[in-house]
Amino acid sequence: MNSSEPNERFFEDLASAFDDDAAESAMPSKLKAKAYSALVNRQQESGPLLGLRDTYAEGRGLCVHEHLVRIAPVGTKAQQFNCCSICHARVLGEALENPPIYWGNCPYAGFKRS
Amino acid sequence: MTATGSSFPSTSQPTAAVSDDLRLAAAVLRKDRKATAEFIDRYADPLYGYLSRRLIPRTDLVDDLVQEVFLAAWESLGAFQGQASLKAWLLGIARHKVEDHYRARLRDPEPLADQETELNPALAVEPLIDKLLDQDRLERKTKRVLEELPEAYSAVLLWRYWEHRSAQEMAERTGKSVKAIERMLARAREQFKRRWQDE
Repeated sequence: MNSSEPNERFFEDLASAFDDDAAESAMPSKLKAKAYSALVNRQQESGPLLGLRDTYAEGRGLCVHEHLVRIAPVGTKAQQFNCCSICHARVLGEALENPPIYWGNCPYAGFKRS
Repeated sequence: MTATGSSFPSTSQPTAAVSDDLRLAAAVLRKDRKATAEFIDRYADPLYGYLSRRLIPRTDLVDDLVQEVFLAAWESLGAFQGQASLKAWLLGIARHKVEDHYRARLRDPEPLADQETELNPALAVEPLIDKLLDQDRLERKTKRVLEELPEAYSAVLLWRYWEHRSAQEMAERTGKSVKAIERMLARAREQFKRRWQDE
């Protein structure tokens, strides 16, 4: 008998005892916030974001600041601007696990709830 | 980078789930910021869980790698066609990242002291694994032992037994010989078992 067989069996059993590839662990919300900011920044490298009026028309909720931009008489560029990049909620969301953000439809607050 | 998600079988998704995945992917591709937030929120936890378990002891790398997976996904999201679930597809990208990490660790020189150590084939471990240990304790103990090993050894064990790669495949990916991989595996197993018994 191959002397490595019991070894193989031990490690195979050990791996199969907890080998759920897709098992979830809660990622800290501030890390989700940073990942979101990084991804939106990357998206902007190849052109502007979808405008807020289009986002809203697709049934997505906007935060209070985004609503103001949406209804303001401003052009397409302003609608496509990433408001979160200058919002204190982003700073709080990236720094704190429970950021004090108390208005709806803010992605950084959404990460905290999940 | 192309990721097919084939490493994480998720065949025959229900139609509703497929169309939901495709809808979300399309919205992210249109750069809908709210869809992008949903994308992160929905898939960050499974990616974080997978990477945390596979990068022991280098859990300090997990945060950056989750972000890298999302950025890599953005680059190839246009190729996502819903054959696998979006979650499986993302885990496929994560797996590529993990294997890149293992490959780098296995190229590191092994600790000299270990190379000179005689292997002890008689070092036996109980046939698994005292059923006395419950799942949580078993996982915690395994993590502790993997954390104590030199990085190359934890990487080679995780790659072989948790990612189910053969010594041949690992040799091809690292440019080492199969014998060198097998020797490293033997040392890693022995060190693991010593620590396992000492726990």
